[in-house]
Amino acid sequence: MSSARFPLPKRLLAAASLAVATALVVAGCSSGGTTGETGKPDAAAVVNVGLVLEPTDLDIRTTAGIALDQVLIDNVYQGLVGRTSTNDIVDVLATKHTVSSDGLTYTFTLHQGVRFHDGADLTAADVVWSLQQVKDTATFQNTADLAAVKSISSPDADTVVLKLSEPDSNLLWALSGRAGLVLEEAATNDLKTTANGTGPYTLASWKQGDNIQLKRFSDYWGTKAKVAGVTFRYYTQASAAINAVISGDVDVQTAVDATLKSQLTGVDGISLKSGKTTDKYTLAFNNAEAPFTDIRVRKAIREAIDSKAIITAVGGSGVEQGGPIPELDPGYDDLTSVDSYDPDDARKLLKAAGATNLKLSLTYANFYPASLGDVLTSQLKKVGITLTVKQTDFTTWINNVLVKHDYQLSIVNHAESHDFGNWANPKYYFGYDNTKVQELYAESLAATDQTVVDEKLAEAAKIVSDDAAADWLYTATTLTAIHDGVTGFPTSSTSARLDLANLAKS
Amino acid sequence: MFRFVLSRLVLLVIGLVVASALIFFTLRLLTGDVAQVIAGTQGTAAQVAAIRTQLGLDRPLPVQYLDWLAGMLHGDLGTSLVTGSSVSSQLLQKLTVTLPLAGMSLVIGLLVGIPLGVVAAVRNRRPEGTALSVVAQALAAVPAVWGGMILIAVFAVALKLLPTQGYPSDGWAEPGRALRSLLLPALTIGIIEGAVILRFTRSATLGALDEDYVRTAAAKGMTRTRAVLTHGLPNVLLSVVSVLGVQMAALLVGAVLVEQLFALPGVGRMLVADVGVRDLTKVQGELLALTGLVLILGFIVDLVHRAVDPRLREPGE
Repeated sequence: MSSARFPLPKRLLAAASLAVATALVVAGCSSGGTTGETGKPDAAAVVNVGLVLEPTDLDIRTTAGIALDQVLIDNVYQGLVGRTSTNDIVDVLATKHTVSSDGLTYTFTLHQGVRFHDGADLTAADVVWSLQQVKDTATFQNTADLAAVKSISSPDADTVVLKLSEPDSNLLWALSGRAGLVLEEAATNDLKTTANGTGPYTLASWKQGDNIQLKRFSDYWGTKAKVAGVTFRYYTQASAAINAVISGDVDVQTAVDATLKSQLTGVDGISLKSGKTTDKYTLAFNNAEAPFTDIRVRKAIREAIDSKAIITAVGGSGVEQGGPIPELDPGYDDLTSVDSYDPDDARKLLKAAGATNLKLSLTYANFYPASLGDVLTSQLKKVGITLTVKQTDFTTWINNVLVKHDYQLSIVNHAESHDFGNWANPKYYFGYDNTKVQELYAESLAATDQTVVDEKLAEAAKIVSDDAAADWLYTATTLTAIHDGVTGFPTSSTSARLDLANLAKS
Repeated sequence: MFRFVLSRLVLLVIGLVVASALIFFTLRLLTGDVAQVIAGTQGTAAQVAAIRTQLGLDRPLPVQYLDWLAGMLHGDLGTSLVTGSSVSSQLLQKLTVTLPLAGMSLVIGLLVGIPLGVVAAVRNRRPEGTALSVVAQALAAVPAVWGGMILIAVFAVALKLLPTQGYPSDGWAEPGRALRSLLLPALTIGIIEGAVILRFTRSATLGALDEDYVRTAAAKGMTRTRAVLTHGLPNVLLSVVSVLGVQMAALLVGAVLVEQLFALPGVGRMLVADVGVRDLTKVQGELLALTGLVLILGFIVDLVHRAVDPRLREPGE
């Protein structure tokens, strides 16, 4: 959730959306001939990509936020393993990996001939050092991901071995993320403003408040990038993003606001693709505080909420989600029948709980649409709950809700994949404390067989949903607008990662 | 004159020190913590504490304040808690957007406000004069955000003459594009600012119309309009100059809002983003620089005012 996405800002400029912008002259095109013939990839092309949220700094090891993962992981930095846009684990800097049958030893064979962007060769020592740093440094993000790792070593120049103190079925997933990124031990570059990785693109420049430019790495160990470069531009205003893609300022626009998508349908040369995500728009209950200590109140709120109406209010960019695990994650089961929409039953439950005329407050960050609060207010009104909505800035939300647990209801896009552990952590802001769930989660981590992992997680998720520990409003789908001629751009999970290795432009 | 300059300089320095203390301590009242933002929503308490120590945020506030002041005596505005880059370099980069924006707005404001202000005064109590006053009154009350949206709707959406938003990524390397990007934002601030200047010009001109020297000039055969233009206008401009000193601050505040609306990568937008992540070291450096800018401009306006107005000079000057 550190990734709590910052999408769909208020549409201040909805009225001014059919914009004209001056055509962008792409630097790479002017030097390498124009856009090239249709169908033939133009190796000199630069692709302009519109994103929502700009990173605050570039230090992938210490600074939170998906804005960094999107730009830097896969493209600039790589790990031993990586993940596809549908969350399958694949080898990257490792040619293969094996896990011992007791789940305690992970052995990785390294690719040969891998170079860092500064020209240095990748060694097993760099890998050991990188992982050890994450494990040992308290200020690093994801340091907890390697908690089960006892030792990291390289018995020879081609091999890295991780020994665990207890099995951790989440380890490969963690290594496909920030915890597993391989940096160069001898490098002295300032990680806050520069990057030195092994990926297909180098970080060419970052003009804060404006754009980030990647360039093709000519010494890349794998298949070299098909475009000369990628420029990321940031549009926090949804209508500005639409304008940018219509005017051609960007070739690709991610996270298109679904309520404005009609402006793009039928526009020549632009297609709109829908993709899956693990963005779980969650209505969190403060389970540790009254009235949420009463399961009848929690269930009543779930039954009072009509997810379909909420999905309509956000432009249809979502699918119903009945429990804590989304479709792309291990342990998913369709739980939408649990506490489904039933306002009559909700009123009965509230009456039984003695909670008639309930007054509740809903606190959420101001980059989520105000319509969410409006729809919830009117839906809860129908069962006799008066909702007061308060939108704050994200930093205030972190302080009051996440850290101090000073809230009743909150909406957050829990965007991270594989984050079920939050329901097994009674200290998390959900305040949800269920021993059986915690046991099952621990068993899922300890399991060495993926089928067992999935079963344990699914069982735990069912309990969390039956307990009405929160209401899962919807799992977002994401819209990407792509100009004709651009291929190889991922369309699923774009809010988490953007692997541009296959990107091409003709 | 020397004593005057010296006394103004002392006031300027006192103003800056008071401003620095106000900025530093009021910012600390904000809810939220940059260490928590850096650590993110999955950050543990230990991680947050480690980051606070690393950034020096665990030291007592007065120590942090004095540290900051000491840095500033060496011309160092501090470094960002988030990016580690120097505040002054970031500020200089963003000022290449904000200063031209403020400058263009001021020029537009003056071009609109002064001639129309004189006309409104000379045509006072006639339909055109009254109309000008009413329009100015209304425009001066328009919120910049709303005004900007109307301008976008007219010039960018309907007439398709100018871009709605944004700024060329290589900035002034393409002066034409940069100027086009700044024109609508500058109009937004400039027209509203012009309305304010118009009202001041009008009342100053009305005052001048009643002055003896205008009546004398008229008695000598000049038309009233001519008399106002030749003899009244220099006096009118003096009062406009003193108003400008105050309006500089309004211009900069206007720039902050308008940069948001037009997605311009200027100081205002940077300031809002920095407050958002609670990069207080950077915010306080930026605010103090802006305050300093306004105070120094005010200081210059004072000097100019005194230099051009012989009535303010001391005996013997």
